[in-house]
Amino acid sequence: MAKLTLERLHKRYGELSVVDDVSLSIADGEFLSLLGPSGCGKTTILRMVAGLVDPSGGTIRIGDQDVTQLPPNKREIGLVFQSYALFPHLSVAENVAFGLRRRGVGGNELKERVTAALALVRLSAYGERKPRELSGGQQQRVAIARAVAPRPRVLLFDEPLSNLDAQLRDEMQIELKRLQSQLHLTSVFVTHDQQEALSLSDRVCVLAGGEIQQIATPEDLYHRPANAFIASFIGKPNRLVGDVAERRGVGGVLAVGGFRLPSAQVDAPVGTEVDVIVRQEAVQVHRHPVADGIPATISLRSFSGAHVQYVVTVAPGVELLAQAPSTGDAASLAPATQVWLDIDPAAVFALPKQEAQA
Amino acid sequence: MSAAAPVARRRAWQDPALLAPLTILLAALFLAPLLLMVPMSFREYDPGTGVVAGSWTLENYSRLLTDEFYREVALRTLGLGLAVTACSLLLGYPLAYVIARGNPRWRVTLVLLVVFPMMLNLVVRSFGWIALLSNHGLINNLLVGLGLIDTPLKLMFNLTGLIIGLTHIYLPFMVLMLVSSIQGVPRDVEAAASTLGSSRFHVFRAVTLPLTAPGILTGSILVFVLTVSALVTPRMLGGPTYKVMATLIYDEYMQLLDWPSGSALAFALTVVVLAFIWASSRLAKRWGGMA
Repeated sequence: MAKLTLERLHKRYGELSVVDDVSLSIADGEFLSLLGPSGCGKTTILRMVAGLVDPSGGTIRIGDQDVTQLPPNKREIGLVFQSYALFPHLSVAENVAFGLRRRGVGGNELKERVTAALALVRLSAYGERKPRELSGGQQQRVAIARAVAPRPRVLLFDEPLSNLDAQLRDEMQIELKRLQSQLHLTSVFVTHDQQEALSLSDRVCVLAGGEIQQIATPEDLYHRPANAFIASFIGKPNRLVGDVAERRGVGGVLAVGGFRLPSAQVDAPVGTEVDVIVRQEAVQVHRHPVADGIPATISLRSFSGAHVQYVVTVAPGVELLAQAPSTGDAASLAPATQVWLDIDPAAVFALPKQEAQA
Repeated sequence: MSAAAPVARRRAWQDPALLAPLTILLAALFLAPLLLMVPMSFREYDPGTGVVAGSWTLENYSRLLTDEFYREVALRTLGLGLAVTACSLLLGYPLAYVIARGNPRWRVTLVLLVVFPMMLNLVVRSFGWIALLSNHGLINNLLVGLGLIDTPLKLMFNLTGLIIGLTHIYLPFMVLMLVSSIQGVPRDVEAAASTLGSSRFHVFRAVTLPLTAPGILTGSILVFVLTVSALVTPRMLGGPTYKVMATLIYDEYMQLLDWPSGSALAFALTVVVLAFIWASSRLAKRWGGMA
């Protein structure tokens, strides 16, 4: 285990810059996610750390060692792939033993460490099976055991949960969280799924266009996004169009479709047309008038288990998605019902028009 | 279930029906003549009068083990098969690797170049080798002319000539089998091995090679079978005296008119080849972890 430092990392393919001047320091034992839309350079960064892609410039350090020029096999890292990438011709136990053997572990110690690694991912009974005899989730757990067994200095995850179905993904997230609390491995986790990044990480690094947008704890990222891109990327956004009516510090009041919407973060001067991001989870539906409530009518209701989702019409042509708990006062409102919306200004963001397309 | 049943019923007669034309054709024109040869292989042959009707003997088969000439030809054929297979594999694997893993822009061109010799007539290609390998062929003339050797190397009418010629002719089959096999190895699996501490050579030895075992096996079986049954090239590069099983069988049939002996040799060859294929697939399966 060791800290991982990236200094001014670049990757260009011809004219195209995929990773642009990325500097990042990951503390010993920290779990950091690289989060971003596809093509943001997150996988390229991970593969450069693994040594599978050569950087165009910059330095990668593991601990105090400059590993930029080292081949993958000399870096003492573990990598978990989206495709699992197990050795299909070897048994589960031999898959796990592979990296240990490469580091000269043999005899009883080899046996013990393979057993321990398989126990860690709760697959002790599956050592003699072939990978193809396991389910996707089990295969990914073998891949994790294989990566962890040689005690890598840094553990890398390349969208490891993307190939699993939703339920398994949730289970695997908990599995990973548990693993992390036991092993305290320095980890870099690449994902395009914000929920994965938020729930697993100590810190999240949001990337767009090969550049770092913000590095913050999940809480800060969600509640205090550094810029408009992140505001529109994190959470479940409603996207509206409005004008800046008033500025108050970093916030202000927006005029959207005939009603006034207080916002905690406005990145444009008064009078300009802006894209307005309103997080769905911050829109509360009330059956009775509330202070500063915005009147609206229910257009659609859809039940989704713990929550009920509403499409509400605030003004002609202006619709918002809102959530309500599926038990309680606002759980079963029929279309055309008159309601009042209470919108948390902290979850309303205004950004200059073109940036929302990023 | 109720929806699936009619589909299954239709399939039950559909598949045999679709296979019937080919099955009938093969049975009538290939299997039946082959079976007619079985009794023939146990008949006695009298050089003066021909096949002795109603006679039964095992001598046509036992000759392969007892007669030194026949035994030598049989062993030579198997040795040739193994040598040509090994040469094709050693020459073909690196080439296939470059085609499969190199710049995709060159892939089609390289595959075409590999296949190109197969568009030339076999006789022409074999003649080409005669022009190169004979005592006054290009290679010997060049080596003598440069003063590197005094007397021409014996490159024809022996095992060397046959290995060179047949390796060239059957190499494309090996390469094509290997290319698709190497392309089927996921790059992530190789990358996983390297992050776990494997050098490039170890990745190749521990991952790429075993995962391409099925391709190596099919390519090897194909080349081996084609080599031990090759007739034209051994005849041209081996001449009338340096014989292999195929040329021997041909001579028994067409020149000595000894059909019983020819059929016995042909069946013996088939049995030995099947045994080789069975043994090698057992071996490859265990090695590639597919058992």
